[in-house]
Amino acid sequence: MEKIRFSRRQLCIPYALFLFLFVVIPMLLILFYAFTEEIDGAITFSFANFAGFFTSRAKLSTLLMSFTVAIISTAICLLVAYPVAYVLARSSLRKKNVLLMIFILPMWINFVLRITALRELLDLLGLLESQNYLNTIIGMVYDFLPFMILPLYTTLEKLDKNYLEAAADLGGNKFTVFTKVTFPLSMPGVISGITMVFMPSMTNYVVSDTLSNFNITILGKLIDEYFTTYDNWHMGSMISIILLVIIFLTMLATGGFKDSEKEARGANLW
Amino acid sequence: MKRYLTALCAFLIALPLLLPLAGCSSAKKGEVLRVYNWEDYISTPKSSDGEEDESIPDLIAAFEKEYGVTVEYSTFGTNENMYNELKINAAGYDLVCPSDYMIMKMINENMVEPFSEEFLNNGTYSTFASPYIKNLFDKNGWTQYAAAYMWGTMGFVYNPELVDANDLSSWAGIWDIKYHKKSTIKDSVRDSYFLGVAYVYRDELTDLAARYAAGTVNAEEYSAALEEIMNRTDENTRNRVKDALLSLKPNLYGFEVDSGKQDMITGKISINFAWSGDAVYSMDEAEDPDGGDPVYLNYAIPEECTNIWFDGWVMPKGSNTKLAEKFIDFLSRPENAAANMNFIGYTSAVGGDAVFDEMIDWYDESADPENRGFDEDGNALEKYDLNYFFRGTGEYDDYSLYVSEDSMNRQIYAQYPTEDVIARCAIMKNFTNEETAAVNEMWEEVKGLPIPVWAYIAIAVIAAGIVAIALSYVYKGKRSEPKPKKGYRRVSSKEKP
Repeated sequence: MEKIRFSRRQLCIPYALFLFLFVVIPMLLILFYAFTEEIDGAITFSFANFAGFFTSRAKLSTLLMSFTVAIISTAICLLVAYPVAYVLARSSLRKKNVLLMIFILPMWINFVLRITALRELLDLLGLLESQNYLNTIIGMVYDFLPFMILPLYTTLEKLDKNYLEAAADLGGNKFTVFTKVTFPLSMPGVISGITMVFMPSMTNYVVSDTLSNFNITILGKLIDEYFTTYDNWHMGSMISIILLVIIFLTMLATGGFKDSEKEARGANLW
Repeated sequence: MKRYLTALCAFLIALPLLLPLAGCSSAKKGEVLRVYNWEDYISTPKSSDGEEDESIPDLIAAFEKEYGVTVEYSTFGTNENMYNELKINAAGYDLVCPSDYMIMKMINENMVEPFSEEFLNNGTYSTFASPYIKNLFDKNGWTQYAAAYMWGTMGFVYNPELVDANDLSSWAGIWDIKYHKKSTIKDSVRDSYFLGVAYVYRDELTDLAARYAAGTVNAEEYSAALEEIMNRTDENTRNRVKDALLSLKPNLYGFEVDSGKQDMITGKISINFAWSGDAVYSMDEAEDPDGGDPVYLNYAIPEECTNIWFDGWVMPKGSNTKLAEKFIDFLSRPENAAANMNFIGYTSAVGGDAVFDEMIDWYDESADPENRGFDEDGNALEKYDLNYFFRGTGEYDDYSLYVSEDSMNRQIYAQYPTEDVIARCAIMKNFTNEETAAVNEMWEEVKGLPIPVWAYIAIAVIAAGIVAIALSYVYKGKRSEPKPKKGYRRVSSKEKP
């Protein structure tokens, strides 16, 4: 009997199917909804949703608000995560795994549970009823910090120590070594960390709803409202597309720093 | 390559054939009734968290047994979700239970089947449904298409120890700075819009109520005028409502979808804008906490007006109407309605002696059931008249409960408003698509504004930072590679020397 052999291409079929059914088709549907409009039961092609988004004060201010929240959360995550990842990457092996575990542990607990617990904690601190913005940012940072630590840690850990030694030999003090060697070489990690945190911070409305008592609306919430309560899938899809474009542009902008680190790209986890 | 494509096509073709096989495991018997209802909206021993309590009657199983049919029961979370599902899967359901405005929309769009003459004239529902509800349906022309299930009002649940009841005689009460960060409203456009309208037109409404009390307008004119005011959606109204809600926002603890009940019970807030059914739940739970002292919450319906709401059964086009009508009639038997009220906590649209007996059991404080009206010490209790709702649905001469003065503003008041409240109830109708879009836009602004000053500053700083970094890169790039001197050539690291 002939042996059953799979060529490499055949092995890709399951994922290709998945991609087609759950990525390509939904994307096309979103595009279709975004650029159509229903008038008296007839669906027609239109830019009305696009124009509607950019002429609505409410939607633009929501966009601005989500942008601010996401950028601040991402910046705080980066500032907190970098030293942690740096120290972790440099510590001796046995301690390292335990420490890394501690930082990753929160990811294993259900997300809604964590946010609900955080709500109670903020209430105890007396922040819940007054500090809507602060709470939302705390929630985002709390939730997405591991996603920043992990890629930073992997890049920093893989960093060749010889570079640092060489830099020191050439007369660089610790500060110079960090700014001229370590940090530029860790850029791929920084960038994947930023993308991992920035994107969900713009859309994760469970955090903003729970921790701001529904006082803060972010784009994800707006999309949800359009699909579930406003019953307007066209505008909901348009907001999704606009969000997609914003994220694409952010990646393009951050990716612009990448070209000098082609060799280090392997460390780019995501 | 062709082979893979053939395989792929074969798989895609086979896929829809495989799917129904997965769903065919359980054997079906008899006719099938497909019911689409709100979550937790029918008496069942299986709670949503997976626990089972055998003492609770299982109405679906009882119906299946009695009629030898199978009920396929599914649930939805919002009216709009239900509507979309019906649009996509038009023939998928025999009986659905939307709210008032959605029923109007579905009737307008010719999406529902009318009831049979038999059901309308001799059915259990037509016998036991409250004359008040039937009258309301007749007046609006829904009787042919919809059968009411649960109904109620909107008002404030409040803690009387922390809140002055007089302040809540007006919807403006929660605008009072006294209750700064102590109240919540619904994160729902229609409910909050109603609140805004009632606040904006409170003077007009109060004036109207005074004229009704003085007898210069009759009940019918009063009701019509209320309905006109509460269904205003013109631009001026929308702007005024928006300003009103924006001015309310900083005074609120927040908006809520579901957490208001819990926050009320734990005492985080002291006023909660609520549906009467949820109000009953909050009051019950606060009176009987798992630990700690009981708190007796009250329910207030402001003097200006209130929004009467209901959920009702309609049969989508093409449904099995005979069986659907049987199901409505089955649920409308007073003993089943009582079981539902017991489980859901909302008020059934059905009267009947079994329901009233349950209400005596729950609320009547008379010491002697044979001679009601007096407490244990022989003091006279307050009479709570429910004849407007129950008369004609049963055998009793008088449908009145006797309760203590303290209880007058508690569960019974949320469950069955008094007749004077009924006079100031109006239905918030279905808005046209344009009106809905405009009101939604107003609500978005309420939710999205104002942007705090620091956010603008943060954005400016971030933008400046990005520009600075970009500039420094451009500048550095230029400086690090100066032009080589004449006669020299720069050797790139990529080139081999």
